[in-house]
Amino acid sequence: MTLTQKRLIVLTAVILAAAISGRLAVRGFMNLLLGGTMFGGNFL
Amino acid sequence: MWGFIYVGAFIAAFAVSAVIKLTYNPLGDKYSMHWDDSVGTVYSDLSYNEGAANKFDLYVPSDSGKENYGLVVYLHAGGFTSGDKADDVEMLQWLCSKGYVAAGINYTLFSEEHPQANVYTQSMEIRDSIPFVLEEAEKLGYHIDRMAMSGGSAGHCLAMLYAYRDAAASPVPVKMVFGAVGPSCFYLEDWINMGCDPKHPISVDSDTDYSGMAGLFSVMAGRAITNNMLMNGAYLDEVKDISAAMWVDENSVPSVFAYGAWDRAQAFSASKRLDAALTEHGVPHEYIVFEHSGHGLQNDNSQYAQFMVKVTEYLEKYLGT
Repeated sequence: MTLTQKRLIVLTAVILAAAISGRLAVRGFMNLLLGGTMFGGNFL
Repeated sequence: MWGFIYVGAFIAAFAVSAVIKLTYNPLGDKYSMHWDDSVGTVYSDLSYNEGAANKFDLYVPSDSGKENYGLVVYLHAGGFTSGDKADDVEMLQWLCSKGYVAAGINYTLFSEEHPQANVYTQSMEIRDSIPFVLEEAEKLGYHIDRMAMSGGSAGHCLAMLYAYRDAAASPVPVKMVFGAVGPSCFYLEDWINMGCDPKHPISVDSDTDYSGMAGLFSVMAGRAITNNMLMNGAYLDEVKDISAAMWVDENSVPSVFAYGAWDRAQAFSASKRLDAALTEHGVPHEYIVFEHSGHGLQNDNSQYAQFMVKVTEYLEKYLGT
């Protein structure tokens, strides 16, 4: 595996983690205002 | 350089994901449409009573050839202190597209300017507005012979008060009520658990000072309620006029309602009392609980779809087309 391939895998993981974090952050903020659980129901 | 790329990618993906989450409409376009003259016409800011807020918008369908029409009143949310009929344009347009005459009605909000406004005075304004809505529809050539009440949050509370408390005196028969997250009654043991884990409610403690809750109930009811009254139960007489669930009987209208189990803005347990009262009196109803959501019903999209399906079914069954 080349160094570029490794970097692209890391980049993909970073993007995935950021996307999940973004959804969870919104859900957490909305729950703080309105009430609700962090998990269950909708996907994230 | 790759460090910057990783940081940039994280920020961009985080922001895009958050925006998609915020703007995603779980129902898609199913309950909205392109509004133009082929669907209906809206008449805005028609007056009832003398107050500056006593205005309503009337949506009439383009098909004006029927002998009779059903009216659907939809009352706006906003915690009795904010909001406007303009907030519900999509819902009112959708109702109108179903062939109903739809009305969004404003009411005087509790504010520094109107410190005497409360849930009771607002419910009286809604009661007073209905003859004006019917008269205006008649003038436009739409004879109303039946109606449904509906609303969101505070609007749902006011809709239920008209449907369960005032329906007997309504100029046209009320056939059903639907809505979401509206306070249905004001029991201390429900409201001290607002926003708490619904599986582990706390009990009323006679040594605790509930003056804050007494103040909240006082403001909402427009009557003086003290901590002592909360302790001896006398407050229940004072909040009855704003507690729709306390007016449910065997003559109450079919109902569809949705509540979030983790609601931080009103007491979820109050909705259980509403469900129990309707069940006890054999009133057809649908009680849809959003197990993971709060006041915004934001975490249970499948339940939201189910709620709208039931609303549509009940409208067709009880209000007709």
